[in-house]
Amino acid sequence: MMSRRAAITVTVCIAVAAALGAVGPGQAIAADQVVKVGIDASLTGADAESAARIKNGALLAFDEANAKGEIPGYRIEAVTYDDGTATAGQYDPAQAATNARKMVSDPAMVAAVGPQMSGAGKAMAPILSQGDLAIITPASTNPDLTDPRFAAQYRPGGKPIYFRTVTTDNFQGPNLANYWADSLHVKSVYVLDDGGAFGVGLADAFQKRAEQKGIKVLGRDRLDPKAPDYATILTKIKPLNPDALYYGGVMQGGIKLAKQGHDILPKAIKGGGDGIVGPEMLTAAGFPAAEGWYATIASPHLTEDVKLADWMKEYKAKFGFAPDDYAVTAYDAALVIIDAIKRVAATGKPVTRDAVRDAIQDASVPTLQGEVSFDANGDLKDRTVSVFRIKRDPNFPSDDMVHQYMYIGVAPAS
Amino acid sequence: MTTFDLLLQQTINGLSLGAMYALLALGFTLVYGILELINFSHFNVFMVGSFVGLWTLQSFGLSGQDVILTGLPLAGVLLVAFAVTMLATGALGVAIERLCLRPLRDVKGPAAMITTIGVSYILFNVILLSVGADQKNYPNPLPTVRFQLAGAVLDLRVILIWIVALALMAGLWLFVQRSRLGKAMRATAQDPEAARMMGVDVDRVIVIAFFAGSALAGAGGLIFGLYYNYTSFLIGFTTGLRAFTAAVLGGIGSVPGAMAGGVIIGMIEAMSGQFIATAWTDVIIFSILVLVLVFRPTGLFGRLAPVKS
Repeated sequence: MMSRRAAITVTVCIAVAAALGAVGPGQAIAADQVVKVGIDASLTGADAESAARIKNGALLAFDEANAKGEIPGYRIEAVTYDDGTATAGQYDPAQAATNARKMVSDPAMVAAVGPQMSGAGKAMAPILSQGDLAIITPASTNPDLTDPRFAAQYRPGGKPIYFRTVTTDNFQGPNLANYWADSLHVKSVYVLDDGGAFGVGLADAFQKRAEQKGIKVLGRDRLDPKAPDYATILTKIKPLNPDALYYGGVMQGGIKLAKQGHDILPKAIKGGGDGIVGPEMLTAAGFPAAEGWYATIASPHLTEDVKLADWMKEYKAKFGFAPDDYAVTAYDAALVIIDAIKRVAATGKPVTRDAVRDAIQDASVPTLQGEVSFDANGDLKDRTVSVFRIKRDPNFPSDDMVHQYMYIGVAPAS
Repeated sequence: MTTFDLLLQQTINGLSLGAMYALLALGFTLVYGILELINFSHFNVFMVGSFVGLWTLQSFGLSGQDVILTGLPLAGVLLVAFAVTMLATGALGVAIERLCLRPLRDVKGPAAMITTIGVSYILFNVILLSVGADQKNYPNPLPTVRFQLAGAVLDLRVILIWIVALALMAGLWLFVQRSRLGKAMRATAQDPEAARMMGVDVDRVIVIAFFAGSALAGAGGLIFGLYYNYTSFLIGFTTGLRAFTAAVLGGIGSVPGAMAGGVIIGMIEAMSGQFIATAWTDVIIFSILVLVLVFRPTGLFGRLAPVKS
């Protein structure tokens, strides 16, 4: 009688043979070389819905490239990573570092799209740099990541590996301060942040420009994103009567600030950066709490562009919900990676991480947002910041980003 | 707003927080008083309670802030929501005791306490995996009614929270002090052996303690949702830890201690946010806890526990 192990081995062999037989000999699939690309976003926690939009944007581009045979002889395999954890309730830098190590240790991995959050980016960049793996972020905007002053910290490997298809908080925070000062005539503001890498940097950049613009900064405080109660801090702010309240941070704190701010500071103008642009603000904070909040994104506003109408339809048909602007920038980031791999492959040289990184650095790729190319540090050359205001449109679903975030225009750069 | 108004407003904020912490602290104290067991699953029984409340309110067709009720329908919905939530979490508490803790009753050492930590994580993950990690918008059927109290604003929601919390605590107090079962509870807390010899059904007393403590936590969870208008699987740890601190500060095992501890922690949180910075709140709360325990190791209202054989 066969031993149990032998029986299992035989069964497995038969199964494998059957699977191979199904593919059939001599088909093209076997000949294509597989290159892997990573996708990292904060799929668990308060930012999960925005993260899904980013992940799907990148996936759509990779799927299309494979379907069209965009790179002859190569097939792209996208691997999704989640840097959000349950205990953090949002992005978790430790998980982001683990993901970066996983990417680097996979020899077939040649580039990645992500991360969504700057706090995750700060944990990933040094590891990716030492592993020579280029990453293109569609959403993380903290300037330190690409700033040559912090090269020792974020690119110890030497060359820039952190690229962006959005601009940075050097523009996102200050440009909203310009808009508030010039168009809304805000005279005084109270600034809050959520203690995260992105939130603190954004609030600092906003505050600096606000002061230059003559807006009186009445105070600055830090929220604990996990604490439920912001009534205390809002009560402290109330007698100061600020014209406006600025929040540097992501959703976990933003949702609660919107809810409690609506009760305690109903009259103040309120706003923040791209951390509070997402369906969570519309569903978890909801109306009337979210009504009237200003927010910016570090890219042009694309989802209402008529040229993108077909793309929007395709995205919605495939994933069941409408994309937001960072789904577009994620798609663009993936296009840049596909283009880079294609150019390397066309030279006949092996598609290595280093070659792909160099190709990304030299990229000049037509994308949905226009021509994407990077400066010497990896930052996007285009520096558009767009301003939105949440305004309920009852004719559309409440998580419909395109219709519930009213586009105001490009924020003034000075 | 004058400084007085500001202090008044922060006192209102602090008392609302305190009411929530006190409801939760009572559950820690009831179980500890009888079993000398720190029940960490209580953190997430509270969290489950806020979800049961959410589902109950949703079953009435309430979602988001769109539906506002007044008068009898409002009272009816709230009554049902509190009743369902408290029964559900009470039953959950009894189930935890029956399934996970009773088999360990005679095991010496920290096994039972570690088990409660395990149960806490099971509840945490069951909710996480079944409802997802995002924050949930909590229905608020209460009309926005605001009373001006000097320069401070008193919200109808806040008044409701105070009334419910006070009523529940008064009910518990009467139960423990006046009823036959309450007497049995106090007897068991003093000396389970002697209580058993006097004919007290100790198992039943323990079940009642778990039921009452968990039901109060459930009410706390529903109040949390109505007050903050959101809930998530994470709320158990942040709020629960403060409530646990309140129980220890007041003297764990002491019912009035838990109530006072809750209010004190709530007030510290509000005042340190006002006068120092919210980022320092935890540091201040735990520094005060350490100070109190150094000078009064049994907490503010705790008595030295009788030596149990």
